[in-house]
Amino acid sequence: MRLLPILCGLSLLSLPLQAHDIVLISGGPALRSFEKYKKASHDKYWGNFIDSALARAEELKKDLKADDKIIWLVFRPSYVSRTDEDQQDYLKILEERGFKVGLTPLYFDNKNQLFTLLRRDGSKEKPKICRLEYFGHSNKKCWMFDYSNRVDGGALEPLVVHVDDLAKISGSSFTSDAECVSYGCHSGEEFSQRWRMIVGRPMVGAVGKTDYSDGGMPKLSTGKGGSWVY
Amino acid sequence: MGLLIPLFVWIAMPAVCLASPLPTRSSSDTTEASPQATTPPSADEPSETQDDEEVRKPVEEKVVRATLPAAHTPAKHGDTNGESWIAQRTMVDDYCGWGWVKKDKESWRQARWVALEGTPRTCPLPHTFLPRPVDDKNYQYRFFGTFAPYRAYEPQADMWVDVFILKGFMSLGPAKEEIRRPPPAQASSGVNRFADRAPNLLRP
Repeated sequence: MRLLPILCGLSLLSLPLQAHDIVLISGGPALRSFEKYKKASHDKYWGNFIDSALARAEELKKDLKADDKIIWLVFRPSYVSRTDEDQQDYLKILEERGFKVGLTPLYFDNKNQLFTLLRRDGSKEKPKICRLEYFGHSNKKCWMFDYSNRVDGGALEPLVVHVDDLAKISGSSFTSDAECVSYGCHSGEEFSQRWRMIVGRPMVGAVGKTDYSDGGMPKLSTGKGGSWVY
Repeated sequence: MGLLIPLFVWIAMPAVCLASPLPTRSSSDTTEASPQATTPPSADEPSETQDDEEVRKPVEEKVVRATLPAAHTPAKHGDTNGESWIAQRTMVDDYCGWGWVKKDKESWRQARWVALEGTPRTCPLPHTFLPRPVDDKNYQYRFFGTFAPYRAYEPQADMWVDVFILKGFMSLGPAKEEIRRPPPAQASSGVNRFADRAPNLLRP
């Protein structure tokens, strides 16, 4: 009996430290041909959700544990269509920017692919997620990866994660102390609560709008009385 | 004293009867409110036009746009074979979608509000041939294409709208009258059963 704690301690020491993934998700930009003449015109700059995610990656790298890895998921179709519109190869540019930070984008084309990428079992190939952060368009009920890109002022059903889709994300894919943040507008008004209830992990989200126009990490829009909640 | 009272009445009565009437509440309101009612629009009007100008100020962008007036939208574009619908461009502020679409024999009351999706390299949206998206407002087209099996999410009204995938169109010119019916509005999902769980304020 006396040997039991010693054996347990030895077995714990012999186990390698469990690796985890930090997942950063970048949504896509709107098309200027839809947004150009609107009063609240979105995405004058194509790379809001790229630069912010990469700035965050640099911050996170400072405290990264030895075996942990940052996974950067990028919604590809919107960058392809914005490339066609602006005649600039944005995929190439974002890959170059990612390379500077030591990240390679992992592209997804619809929400089902995203759900597959978020499915984890804790194995070496599919380590659990200890942090998830979203950079992109959203409202209180949806993450909208292709907002105002294929249809004017809206997003297509296969390309949004609606609160009704959250049951497709398993809480077991996350570590028990995983932290989640949505840097989209209005996520804290409903999405983050539903995430907490359905996925089982708290998600910090904004009450009010978020502003990416200064570059780097998004801020709460000034003058609207916004706040971060979970 | 007996003579003084009738004398006082004789002098005072005409003064009371012939006095100018006191202003009524309604007349005083109108006289006071009218300047207030008229001044704000005159104060607002310039700011609205300034906003308008500010939004439409030409900026250096790489978006390639045609500069044709509305009358010069191509009469026919893309694949114009197969089933067709009559469509009328309708713009609703802060609302996702292109306008109303109906079959030939249907009335506009039966029309469906749609978000319009172009087909790459076959048919772009009609307004992309015009200087601004508003330039074909209340124009009618014959649309060729299909309704998509998926919907579009309208974030302002929080609802789903039908999507029409455009393969080709024919211009039919300006509509006789504007469709004033509001687009549909219903919540994208049921009542939030987690609403009783209020968000926790994140303290710095």
